[in-house]
Amino acid sequence: MATIEHKGKTYEVDEDGFLLKGQEEWDENWVDYVKTVEGIAEITDEHQKVIDALQEYYKKNGIAPMVRILSKTTGFPLKRIYELFPSGPGKGACKMAGLPKPTGCV
Amino acid sequence: MGYDPKNPMEGRITDLGPRYYGDFLPPVIKENKGKWLYHEILEPGVLVHVSETGAKVFTVRCGSARLLTVNRVRLYCDIADQHCDGYVRFTTRNNVEFMVASEEKLEALKATLLKHKNVLPIGGTGACVTNIVHTQGWVHCHTPATDASGPVKAVMDDLFEYFGSMVLPAQVRIALACCLNMCGAVHASDIAILGIHRKPPMIDHDRITGVCEIPLAVASCPLGAIKPAKATNSAGEEVKSVAVNNERCMFCGNCYTMCPAMPLADPDGDGIAILVGGKVSNTRSAPKFSKLVVPFLPNTTPRWPEVVACVRQILVAYAKDAKKYERLGEWAERIGWEKFFEKAGIPFTDKSVDDYRLAYDTWRTTSQFKYTSHTAAYTE
Repeated sequence: MATIEHKGKTYEVDEDGFLLKGQEEWDENWVDYVKTVEGIAEITDEHQKVIDALQEYYKKNGIAPMVRILSKTTGFPLKRIYELFPSGPGKGACKMAGLPKPTGCV
Repeated sequence: MGYDPKNPMEGRITDLGPRYYGDFLPPVIKENKGKWLYHEILEPGVLVHVSETGAKVFTVRCGSARLLTVNRVRLYCDIADQHCDGYVRFTTRNNVEFMVASEEKLEALKATLLKHKNVLPIGGTGACVTNIVHTQGWVHCHTPATDASGPVKAVMDDLFEYFGSMVLPAQVRIALACCLNMCGAVHASDIAILGIHRKPPMIDHDRITGVCEIPLAVASCPLGAIKPAKATNSAGEEVKSVAVNNERCMFCGNCYTMCPAMPLADPDGDGIAILVGGKVSNTRSAPKFSKLVVPFLPNTTPRWPEVVACVRQILVAYAKDAKKYERLGEWAERIGWEKFFEKAGIPFTDKSVDDYRLAYDTWRTTSQFKYTSHTAAYTE
């Protein structure tokens, strides 16, 4: 298992850089780290809104929301989500929010 | 400008789509597009299309391994440069086709291809066994129950005589998928080779909470064999996990696709099932799904002799018995599946009897059947 160190904190991650322990290890410092690898200059309120929406849905339902639900709850169309997270809602936003890596035929 | 990881969106080009196919058409194809009158198969692997303008295009089809190095693609390009003005195409079964506009050029092209006949065998037209549509296997995928490139090479080696000839009643399409995701054409091929598991998943309670969305794993099961459950991990802590009812599990592996903490690949349990009788064309009869006839053959690397023998056995029985133009599935349905099992010399097992949801329609609700050696064995 690989580990990542950022500002004195260590995280267990898989080969794609997703948190292996999920919410257990997630904190604001992780957001700051993912920001640097995902090509995001600054975490805005809009970024935070997407992260919060993902985490809230995940805590309540145990799964990441479908893209349509994410758009509906945040009010951002998919295009805007891609502008916020260039790698997209799965690889970008879910990674930053500390959700499990998306699975299936992707 | 090179890619700048600090500024990934800078100068980024996107949503271009594929290149327009018309940019790559040989001149004779471009000029006669939409004007073709008729075609002929001159010999196995060689076609001629005649246009209403009188123009002709000769096509030579060659087998390809699908998984190719850049060097092999460069060889294709060299041959295309030498004979076809740099034009070449691939078919939907991953054969490679070289096209020329005159008979003299055709002869020269064929002569060059013969020099490379180990890597560019000519064939794959008409009533033949053409290329096997196949998948990733152990080369690249994480859910396979068998390999793809390996068995494909073994089967095509054995059936090679049928690639360069046209002696079958109709074309026989063989496909392989290394798990029952069935990427490709396994569900609708004359003969289909399918990787299957025979053991339920193992659950990694240490990782499952972090890496899985448990409701997805539960919903991925076609038989409802998975339910959420509390479990104890190796550190003795109680964690959210799942429980699998092994009696209900039919080893499809869907849960592993969704949840990396539920692996089920097993060297002894995994192997190959053979399905037959599918087709996609509408010719004469409607498209058909392939049906399971051999439930399990072992993964005997590197040559899969049991699979190779079984495919040949089915093919030879079909070639001997079917009528002209009759696809394998049409043949089996005409003579009756009980006769298919007898003629192909395959033992019938309970695994071929459908027991999934709409199974009833596949059972026999008539007294019409033929006595066979198989029924004799049951009624003794």
